[in-house]
Amino acid sequence: MQIFKLCMKVIKKKLPIMSIYIGVFVMLSLIMSSNISKETEKEPSFVESKANIAVIAEESTPLTEGLIKELEKNADFVEIEDDTEAIQDALYFRFATYILRIPEGFTQRFMSGEEVMLEKTVVPDSYTGVYIDMSVEKYLNTARLYVRNLKDIDINQLVEYVAGDMTKQTNLVVTVPEDKQVDFVYSNYFFNYFVYSLFSVLILGISTLMMVFNEDNLRKRNACSPIPAMRSSLQFFLAILVFTLVSWMIMVVCCVLFNLKNSININTVYFIINSFVYALSCAAMSFLIGNLIKGEGSLSAVTNVVALGSSFISGVFVPQELLGSTVLRIASFTPSYWFVNANNIIAKTSNFNLKKMEPVFSSMLIQLGFTVAFLAVALVVGKKKRYA
Amino acid sequence: MVIKVENLVKRYGDLVALDHLSLSVKEGEIFGLLGPNGSGKTTAINSILSLLQYDHGSIEIFGKPMTPEAYGIKRDIGVVMQNVAVYNELTVYDNIDYFCGLYVEGKEKRKKLVQEAIEFTGLQDFIGFYPKKLSGGLLRRLNIACGIAHKPKLIFLDEPTVAIDPQSRNKILEGIVELNRQGATIVYTSHYMEEVEQICTRIMILDKGRAIAQGTKDQLKDMITLGEKITVETSGITPEHIERLKRIPNVLSVEYNGVLVISSGKGQNNLEYVLEFFKKEGLEYGKIYSELPTLNDVFLEITGKELRD
Repeated sequence: MQIFKLCMKVIKKKLPIMSIYIGVFVMLSLIMSSNISKETEKEPSFVESKANIAVIAEESTPLTEGLIKELEKNADFVEIEDDTEAIQDALYFRFATYILRIPEGFTQRFMSGEEVMLEKTVVPDSYTGVYIDMSVEKYLNTARLYVRNLKDIDINQLVEYVAGDMTKQTNLVVTVPEDKQVDFVYSNYFFNYFVYSLFSVLILGISTLMMVFNEDNLRKRNACSPIPAMRSSLQFFLAILVFTLVSWMIMVVCCVLFNLKNSININTVYFIINSFVYALSCAAMSFLIGNLIKGEGSLSAVTNVVALGSSFISGVFVPQELLGSTVLRIASFTPSYWFVNANNIIAKTSNFNLKKMEPVFSSMLIQLGFTVAFLAVALVVGKKKRYA
Repeated sequence: MVIKVENLVKRYGDLVALDHLSLSVKEGEIFGLLGPNGSGKTTAINSILSLLQYDHGSIEIFGKPMTPEAYGIKRDIGVVMQNVAVYNELTVYDNIDYFCGLYVEGKEKRKKLVQEAIEFTGLQDFIGFYPKKLSGGLLRRLNIACGIAHKPKLIFLDEPTVAIDPQSRNKILEGIVELNRQGATIVYTSHYMEEVEQICTRIMILDKGRAIAQGTKDQLKDMITLGEKITVETSGITPEHIERLKRIPNVLSVEYNGVLVISSGKGQNNLEYVLEFFKKEGLEYGKIYSELPTLNDVFLEITGKELRD
């Protein structure tokens, strides 16, 4: 096992550089995955929030007082001057997001059944504005209903009726199916980041080995030894396989450990299987790259171009849904696209069955096809180079 | 015969690198392949080792045909490449251990052999060094240690002293003689005629892929007409002087280019006559010395060009 041991020693010598890559990639993947995970986290419960509003009332009647009291449930009141500049400043600096003006004579006209309007000044496109609008409309529409249907209703009675109606609530229970309670956003992103992290580490390690072994003098020197060519090739491939497996395992273990509560399920098993298939095609592609590149100088450039390039077009940094059809068509000629595609399907799937998993298996098979193709091309290129 | 090569032909496109080369190496010899750069020495070695596919001819080592799959033969061969072939990622010790391990399986036996190779090449103080930290001479010694650690019966050394200091060169040459003394048959290639003359028991001179002469160094020198070369550092030599010097019996040629060189054929030494001539003519001179022919003279007479051309 001289060749195998030698490979391990060469990798060991390159370990500090690769550890930096692995460390940085794992950290980046963790940070980015967890950030994205937080951003897209689905909240299964409802929490009320209050908006800062200002009410400029030009009259004070039981109706306007009732309205303000009702708004109190959804708003915090702030005091501002009744001055155009002061109002604009308050809105600009978000001191208040909604300013409601109750004009003089509003109550009288409302009680007489006229269609009267309240004036509002709001921060554009503010969701709190919609929230307050709904409260105001709800209160006034209820009051209008009483005014239209109960002629000569006393204003105090009206306010009392409306206040009573406003206290009525309906209980809403949000339920999520048990298998949907697990958050796969983190795992999905982390595994997708394999396209960059795992691929870079494998290119770096395997191509380094290839360059060392393809060095003309050493290749000739080894050919002088009594180790049969087949045996030395097998030892070399075994070393590549071990390196690939160890790199893949480190990253999988990182993912599972950092997200343990969401990792013990069938989805994670599929994520892991898919990533293993992808690791094999990365190893095959790294083997091909190692046969094509000549010096260590070009290695880092190729690593960045291939790993970053395929990450961009395959939907790692930008979701596949947002990429153009031409880009996706080009990406479909890389195993990374099919890996990300399978991950996205796995993340969305619950209640696994063969039919649901068909696209995932197809993606895995395509990745395996790429593995075979890369290996075949690499062997042909390697043979041509040796006899050149 | 340890090596028997017959009618070896190797072409690179239109270029004939080896032109019907035949050679044989006997057990216990230090066989030298001498020739200028590009004469086919390395191509010959690579073909013999089955590292190159050749177009015609046959090669036998230890009486068996040599092929890329002749692993039994390879086990008894040591190779020291012209270009240093060691792993920069391994230390001196690990490099020797790796190459020795390609031939020897037992861990304890290998450890002993590696230690012996380290002592033999004088690398004891550098075992933990990586090749990039070694000087050119030490690197060459490491290259040799990697090639001989498994104690092969036949060792190929392809220009092992290129671009190193005289001290390291002497150490390497002494080492090669010692390996031969311990029983190894050596095939040594070089374009340094002094080295080949110093250590080789039999020599083949190559030019343009052809063997132009072979034999012991004395046999090679006997092949040419030159017997003695007298060099005189002097001035004031006229064409008339040259003509009269040419009339000395057995003189083959007289050249004057600031230094007077008188070449004589075999049989008669002319140093006495030349001294007498200078005395008679009243010519002053500085150094005057007589030399026997070198392998360079052999090469010059056969090919019409200097060995270092």
